[in-house]
Amino acid sequence: MVRALVLLAAGGPAPCRVLYARAFGTPPGPGAGGPRPRLRRKEQLLAVARQVASQCQLLQSSLGRPSSPQLPQLPDEPMSLQDAPGGLFQMPPGDPFPERVTVVWLSVLALAIALVCEPQENLSLAEITLRHLAPRLLLSLRLLGPGTDVLLHPDAADSLLDRLLPHGQMLFLNERFLQAVDRELGIKASR
Amino acid sequence: MAAAAAERFLRRARLDGELVELLQAVLCSPKSPEQIQVLCAAILREMSPCNDLILSCDEIQDTKLLSLVSSVLLAQGNEGEVAAVGQHVVKALERRLPEGQSALFLLPILANVLSLSPGSLTEEQIDVVSKKLADWLRYASIQQGMAQPSGGFFSSPRTKQPAPITEVDGAVATDFFTVLSVAQHYTQDQWLNVQTFSMLRNWLLCYGGKELNTLNPGGKAGVDGSAPPPLRAAGGARRPPPRERLRDKAFQYCQRLVEQSSRRPLKKDDGDLQKACLIEAVTIMDIICKQDSSYVCRAVSFLKILHSRICGDASYARALLPIAQFFLNHSKLAAVDSDAIYKHLFTDIPAQLFHNPSLAFEFVQFCKDNSQLFTDSSSIFRQSFPNLFKFLAWNSPPLISEFVDLLPFLLDTDTAIEIFHLLLDLPCLTAALDIQLRAAALPASEKAGADPAGKPATCLEAFHHPLYKSSFQYLLRTQSAPEDAPESLVPLRQLLGSLAGSPRVVQCAETVPVLLELFFRVVTELDVAGTAETRVGFQFADGSLINQLVVLLLQRSDQLYEIPAFKEDVYRVLGSQLATLCGLRPALLVELSTEILEFSGAVSNIQSKEAIFTHLAWAVGEFLSVSHDKRCTVEQITRFFETLEAVLFEITQLRPQASTPSCAPRAISVLMATLTKLAARSQDLIPRVSMFLSKMRTFVQSPAVTSVYCEEDLEEILIRATELMNLLKMPSVAQFVLTPPVPSTQFQREVNDSLPLALRMVTELLEPAPGSLPV
Repeated sequence: MVRALVLLAAGGPAPCRVLYARAFGTPPGPGAGGPRPRLRRKEQLLAVARQVASQCQLLQSSLGRPSSPQLPQLPDEPMSLQDAPGGLFQMPPGDPFPERVTVVWLSVLALAIALVCEPQENLSLAEITLRHLAPRLLLSLRLLGPGTDVLLHPDAADSLLDRLLPHGQMLFLNERFLQAVDRELGIKASR
Repeated sequence: MAAAAAERFLRRARLDGELVELLQAVLCSPKSPEQIQVLCAAILREMSPCNDLILSCDEIQDTKLLSLVSSVLLAQGNEGEVAAVGQHVVKALERRLPEGQSALFLLPILANVLSLSPGSLTEEQIDVVSKKLADWLRYASIQQGMAQPSGGFFSSPRTKQPAPITEVDGAVATDFFTVLSVAQHYTQDQWLNVQTFSMLRNWLLCYGGKELNTLNPGGKAGVDGSAPPPLRAAGGARRPPPRERLRDKAFQYCQRLVEQSSRRPLKKDDGDLQKACLIEAVTIMDIICKQDSSYVCRAVSFLKILHSRICGDASYARALLPIAQFFLNHSKLAAVDSDAIYKHLFTDIPAQLFHNPSLAFEFVQFCKDNSQLFTDSSSIFRQSFPNLFKFLAWNSPPLISEFVDLLPFLLDTDTAIEIFHLLLDLPCLTAALDIQLRAAALPASEKAGADPAGKPATCLEAFHHPLYKSSFQYLLRTQSAPEDAPESLVPLRQLLGSLAGSPRVVQCAETVPVLLELFFRVVTELDVAGTAETRVGFQFADGSLINQLVVLLLQRSDQLYEIPAFKEDVYRVLGSQLATLCGLRPALLVELSTEILEFSGAVSNIQSKEAIFTHLAWAVGEFLSVSHDKRCTVEQITRFFETLEAVLFEITQLRPQASTPSCAPRAISVLMATLTKLAARSQDLIPRVSMFLSKMRTFVQSPAVTSVYCEEDLEEILIRATELMNLLKMPSVAQFVLTPPVPSTQFQREVNDSLPLALRMVTELLEPAPGSLPV
């Protein structure tokens, strides 16, 4: 299962910014109500984002690519992300989640998307899921267009996740299934 | 402080109760458009945990709405809520759903409940769901679905024969539907098939064991924990219990997936899915075999065939890991020899695919999960450690923390020396791997290009050149080979110097100090209680290993890869570790006196390797005494004294023409203190030291020196010199203060600690440990 998904802006010298984050269920715990659990959740996801940003920068520099602050126009169809830089790393128990998690991330232009997975998860499937999610998220959130209306479409992101990562469940979707999902979402968008 | 501010902000950034109620009402109202419902759910989730929540699943029939509401409830972090959601979902699955509703939205909710709180379902419910899952896995339709009627102009549905499903390579499918089956449109039950398989592993892990009555006392399973009696279907055939049946269908499904993964897909991305399916299938088979050993024989033969099919294909390398794990778990039971599998995995894969970051990560995880394999010194696992370090050398940032966990398992008395060299040469390894990759990418015509008689012009040419070939081969070896170390890797290190600035090499170099510190910590086994028991056969690092390490440490300090920041960091670590080793085993100062004198007698060392020199000098002053080692004679002390005195003389003499060799003030202070300590033990030397110290005033006041050092440092040196001189005027006090007796029992240690604190403080003031000196 995926514990959380984080979409962040990771380019350049500025500290990373979490653009969108979604947690799938909160593990039952002894924490009292009030703002603490919510604060903890936010801080955990921010910690993940920071690590992803740093790993992304390190990988970019080792590949010899400068991190590009300019955002080119996004093509209309979902693009193939076979060569997009990405990686895997682990976060130990207690830092920041109570148990060990594995983070799988993918970087697209100046953005990065990360899945926080439970240990012993199928990491190949996680990478595939990221490559399916990334272009569709970018498209539906219109992230690479002019303006900054990324924050105004959480319902679009949620609808996408409900089909491709429902409740944090990764799905073994072959290309035809994916097309069926695209058709369904495409139909919805035009209504 | 920041957390408190954030908390205050969040307390204010709340919605009041009325608004929350309204959101819930809108969410559940059948008239709300879907987009609004999604937004309400998102807001309520963002605010969780929420005290004002009155949402519940009870009245909800619409499965889509149930999914939205569940996402809010499961975000509350409340075990009762999770269980309630689980109950409701199972009930919805059990009964026939109303028209237009689909079970599609229910399975993911169940999967989430499962991961949050597995105890939410009763035994009976587990059986019911297991039965449905088995049906969905095995009996999904093998015909393609129909296109959704779009309405509009062409409203009369064309009656077309539904086509059969196909495989990913286009062939018509001849067996049951799986996630690797292709259709233009999919039916409901085919979607359910996909979802079932997607959650299958976690389901089996949670509930797949032998029918047990452990989780919930309300369950109807046999009270004594035995499996419920098999049901009798109408025809009298005996049906297996639901969980056993699910295991059976799951096993068949996995076998089919493995067969399907050998097909060549028409669409490239399906190839990636095939590999992910393969990994999942093998993992699930492993789980099934753990839960029911009757499957082992079938699985073993099946997986051996699979292994021989994919072991030569680099794109399937990640699938080799779960296969190897399966054999590690079950080969004993099946009495099967799987050594060839492990050998291939550990010898060939890291050497060929170190540059694949996902494989590297998973491989190292595999090693960590099976760390007990490395304790056997003769095993292929431990022998392959040079190969494992290639993963780290190439992918340093994500793997350094994994290697910090793994290194202790690789270290033993017979591997320590080789690993020490390997760690110091890790950035070289990165450079060599880079060359190896580039050399492999060259077209064949260019590979033979280099002229063997002449010197190679570039690193790339050197790769095949006879002068360097064996060095490269040694560095890039796949197995531990301590005896084969070439005379010297110095020429290769120099050659690779041109790559010292490459980002990957620099990233690797940054991991070395951390690993070195860990190395010494493990090797000296300071934490005896924790590690000795877990490390079968490992003895406390005996004297000979520590001595070897010290000698090598001093030797290697000259032979490091030429990255300035790297060398500085390594010197820092080696210096402090050297001091620790001398403290652990003071005898080495006597046993290795030749090497130590040689090192500390070279003035160049005080300049280029200040950290090591200073710590060594301090250690000599601290531990070279007859109370630490009976063999420490007056001659020994005098020899050390004379060597260090010569160095101090060299760096403090003021020659008008040549410039004073400058070195860190800390080094001067430590040398003075060490000479004083040695003199206190062999009192004939006292006059020499006193005279020397008295000249320090001239030294610090000379113009050549004041221009090089800052005022505070010079003052510090002068104060130190004066204090030491004063101490030497009372030789017996000096001896007592500067060489406290070696405590041999805990009691004595305590007694010594309670000695007149004033004297202790004098000692502290006079010569605190080198690390705390102001530099």
